[in-house]
Amino acid sequence: MNPYTWVWQYAKKSRAAILFASALILINSAAIIVVPLLGGMIVDQVILQGHIARLTPMLVTMVAVTAARVVVRYAYQILFEQMGQNALYDIRHDLFVKLQSLDFDFFNTVRTGDIMARLTGDTDAIRHMLSWVSYTVIENVLWFAAAIIVMSTISWPLMLALVVVTPVIGVLTIKMSSQAHPVFFEIRQSFARLNAMVEENISGNRVVKAFAREAFEIDKFAKLNEDYKQRNMDSAGISRRYLPPLDFLASLLQVLVLLIGGAFVISGRMTLGDLVTFNGFLWMLNQPMRMSGWLINDIQRFSASTVKIRQMLAAKPAIPTGASAQRPAIHGAVTFDHVSFAYADDPDTKVLEDVSFDVQPGQTLGILGETGSGKSTLMNLIARFYDATGGTVSIDGKDIRDWAVRDLRAQITIVMQDLFLFSDTIGDNISYGNHGAKPTFIREMAQVADANDFIAAMPDGYDTVVGERGVGLSGGQKQRISLTRALVNDPKILILDDTTSALDMETEAAIQQRLRTVTQDKTVFIIATRISSLRHADQIIVLNHGRIIERGTHESLLAQHGAYAAAYDRQLGAVTEEGSEH
Amino acid sequence: MAKRNTANVDEDLTENFQWRDYARLSHYLRPYAGRLAVVLGTILLGNIATILGPYLIKQAIDETIPHHNMPELWGISGLFLLTLIIAFACLRYRIWAITEIGQNLLRDMRTDIFTHLQELPFSYFDSRPHGKILIRVVNYINTLSDLLSNGLINLISDLISLIVTLIFMLVINWRLTLWSLLLVPVLAVWTYAIQVQQRKAYRDLSNKQSNLNAYIHESIAGIKVTQGFAQEPNAIGTFDAVADENRTSWMHAVKIQFLLWPGVQMISPLTTALIYFVGLQHVGVAVSTGTLIAFLGYINNFWNPVINIGNFYNSLITATAYLERIFETLDEKPEVQDLPGAFALPPIHGDVQFHDVSFKYASDEPEILHHINFHAEPGETIALVGPTGAGKSTIINLLSRFYNVTSGQLLIDGVDINRVTIASLRSQMGVMLQDTFIFSGTIMDNIRYGRLDATEAEVIAAAKVARADDFIKTLKDGYNTVVQERGVSLSAGQRQLIAFARTLLADPKILILDEAAAAIDTHTEQLLQAGLQELLRGRTSFIVAHRLSTIQRADKILVINHGEIVESGNHDSLMAHHGEYFQLYDAQLRMLQAL
Repeated sequence: MNPYTWVWQYAKKSRAAILFASALILINSAAIIVVPLLGGMIVDQVILQGHIARLTPMLVTMVAVTAARVVVRYAYQILFEQMGQNALYDIRHDLFVKLQSLDFDFFNTVRTGDIMARLTGDTDAIRHMLSWVSYTVIENVLWFAAAIIVMSTISWPLMLALVVVTPVIGVLTIKMSSQAHPVFFEIRQSFARLNAMVEENISGNRVVKAFAREAFEIDKFAKLNEDYKQRNMDSAGISRRYLPPLDFLASLLQVLVLLIGGAFVISGRMTLGDLVTFNGFLWMLNQPMRMSGWLINDIQRFSASTVKIRQMLAAKPAIPTGASAQRPAIHGAVTFDHVSFAYADDPDTKVLEDVSFDVQPGQTLGILGETGSGKSTLMNLIARFYDATGGTVSIDGKDIRDWAVRDLRAQITIVMQDLFLFSDTIGDNISYGNHGAKPTFIREMAQVADANDFIAAMPDGYDTVVGERGVGLSGGQKQRISLTRALVNDPKILILDDTTSALDMETEAAIQQRLRTVTQDKTVFIIATRISSLRHADQIIVLNHGRIIERGTHESLLAQHGAYAAAYDRQLGAVTEEGSEH
Repeated sequence: MAKRNTANVDEDLTENFQWRDYARLSHYLRPYAGRLAVVLGTILLGNIATILGPYLIKQAIDETIPHHNMPELWGISGLFLLTLIIAFACLRYRIWAITEIGQNLLRDMRTDIFTHLQELPFSYFDSRPHGKILIRVVNYINTLSDLLSNGLINLISDLISLIVTLIFMLVINWRLTLWSLLLVPVLAVWTYAIQVQQRKAYRDLSNKQSNLNAYIHESIAGIKVTQGFAQEPNAIGTFDAVADENRTSWMHAVKIQFLLWPGVQMISPLTTALIYFVGLQHVGVAVSTGTLIAFLGYINNFWNPVINIGNFYNSLITATAYLERIFETLDEKPEVQDLPGAFALPPIHGDVQFHDVSFKYASDEPEILHHINFHAEPGETIALVGPTGAGKSTIINLLSRFYNVTSGQLLIDGVDINRVTIASLRSQMGVMLQDTFIFSGTIMDNIRYGRLDATEAEVIAAAKVARADDFIKTLKDGYNTVVQERGVSLSAGQRQLIAFARTLLADPKILILDEAAAAIDTHTEQLLQAGLQELLRGRTSFIVAHRLSTIQRADKILVINHGEIVESGNHDSLMAHHGEYFQLYDAQLRMLQAL
């Protein structure tokens, strides 16, 4: 599909408006001819022939026609703007819906600033195309066609002489088109890089400051900034190559009319009056020629902007994020049957290998493992952020791939390590998954997560606005808000991925105890590095390099004297060594 | 805590655009003044060549052709061709030069705003969505490109042709000239009335665009949460609402903006009609027919530049909405700046002294730290212990001078840190923050951020000490694996190890670990400790942690609560003291023993 057919899908909703606006363009173009004609009539009839009485009606007509023309033009400009905005809205909507459906594989490879460029800079080039370029092209085509017809009736041989120039213009515009496209694509890419770099600089401003890397960042920016300028100069280079010749050829028509037309008049093949009239219409012929170069620039910019947008719209998430109408409730049984997993870009490195376990509804599974042992990946498989590359994950005995993804995720909540809060009030952040949650329930859950006290102590309490990513809150506060958010969602399966690591042990223990009460009817997965968080679990598995190396309960694992017991000794030992001295 | 802005709330404007801001804008033009003059000269030359065309045609039709003078027709045509060639050359130069001046201007302005941004405090970044900062550096500045290059040049050339035409008109007939200027005040009123509304409308639009950018940014940053809570439909709903507000504001703005054109366009035939009327009905003015026709020709020449100037004014008003945001950002005061006469801190030993330090974020906000006093000798390890929100992180932030102390003094090697340059101070400190930020790029580059000139071997050595080498080696491309800012291919623990290696590589004299090891498991942490002990030697270290295993090895432990040091000493002395530390320790001990 070419970019024009593609964009028509969005514009065609406004088909009626476009048709009506095009009719208005026709009226406007006709009216444009009237005013100079009236001017000529006034000179001929009133001034030269002295029919003073005709002056007033002619002047009134002139003003009235202009008034009508101005209203008509305003109307179609607004109609085209509205059409462009409607299409822009729909394109953005589709992009955003796609964005929401894309899986981690996409976000692992495309930079935030690049995605943003698609939704802002790229879409704006499309808007410009629909709102302005479209009617300007129509106007110019109309003028051009009208000029050819009218001028041919005056003197077709002279017209024929002018048409000789047309193929040259055709060749120039085609060459310009093909050269401009890649240049505009490069401008777009450069813009995306610049946007991405600045975005990361802003998001990472703490690291930049901590390492005093301002000069380094400014230098990095300067290179991209200069590159962006250079790409724009490349485009100016093409304009410089093609626009002046196009302009020259358009003006050359005047010389041809003067010379050939003059010769025709001198040789008696044409009257002087006809030559004057012919010349009067010439602007309608050469104005479109002059404009053609500029319009080609705009059109190619548009065309280059659609590339990345359409790529994103065509991206297929490996995991479709559908939901069923009735949203069946789950009980919370989770089974891993010989599950293996490797990331798509590195299929040889097994992140999980032959993992099997069975968790009944209401049970708690504890997972212990070193950094990079595959714990977080395992959690991502339960919420189906990835699909297992081998074996089967089942929820309530049904293959996870047979469930609608959002049905599952609405009832499975992961409290992630990498915490994210929206720049919104704390209250709205907490009720993110459950908008209808009652304030009493929110407070109750905040108490469980030990968050109620510090939230209530803030000047605006639950209405306090937090920054993006929760900036302004300490790590411990963020973790507790994030935990509250998960609890308020009231899921069937709750996954705690090292949720309380930034808290002191006392607070953590108190939270864990309260958690056990409120999660009695939930299946709970706890990933932790502290034994104290895991000991009450019904089952505990120990992961090492993606494999389960030990499994059992706290007591049975201690008795095995393996990795679990070693971790226990380390943590206990750190304190008791010293403690025993007292 | 500063008031925060969110994605769906318009930002307040702290200062309105003033006329003096145009002077500020002209500051950006100054380096290119010479070039601009040349371009202007070229344009004038091109314009003269273009104006000659109609004159030549008139000459041919009035004289040459009626007299059947074919040789003269050739001559006129040749002359005409010559003007076209001159116009061709001028246009060629103009396209290039104008774009270059315009693009240079944008580059300069963007550099200024980005450079300034680097000096702004955390609070600036924390108090508004990042998408709203981003749009100012990139998108807003782009909107100025046409105005500052083509727009300005056209304005000047239009003004010149306006004046020239006016002089011609006055010479021909000053009474008619006055008649034809009769409607100029009407146009002025019309333009002004639109301008007032247009400004408001574009200010509103720029706000909505900023909101949209912010929401897009946040949606990408928080995609895991949205998908995790299956909240996509709600996110789409919010986005649609923000996008719809954008559309509404846009339409409102252009409906006003486009009104200028009909006004200007109407004035021209009205004036023409008026002149016909005055000239032909002999209302107070007596003119010859020839004068009248010539005069009417000039009226067209007169109104075209007026229309163009109107359009320029129109786009200037539009740009104002963006310019005021750009200047607002440039005027934002950095909280922490090098004082006049600040000197570079010489290589330090790491002696740190807090002398009666108190702190509050702003004068109207409550004090967060009260009279903090302590002294860390070079090479000592200081642990900061206390409940969340007690002020531990604030102490650390003051040490790196992310904020200035409100009262008291902070001395490093006996030098007040307010007197030295920020860069020289921070480059001798290694801070590992709670948030580990990964730039998109290779893992090698991410670690190298700590010391830009480090060799590959040095990077790998640091990664080994940080225990990051083990997992990096298992990645597909090892150290050359490309990671993304929001990527999830690294776990939180792995990110922390990378950040740790980054800090190690910086080889700082003062090391700050702010809850840095939270997501690292105890086994890795233990391995890390071995390297850490190595690292801590010869450095002054500040550790904020909850794990007693980390804390009890410290030379000095500061127990912080409610912004005060409530206890200090080493592990043994604090245990003997039976105070807060003892209780904290005892509680953890009992908890572990209960396992």
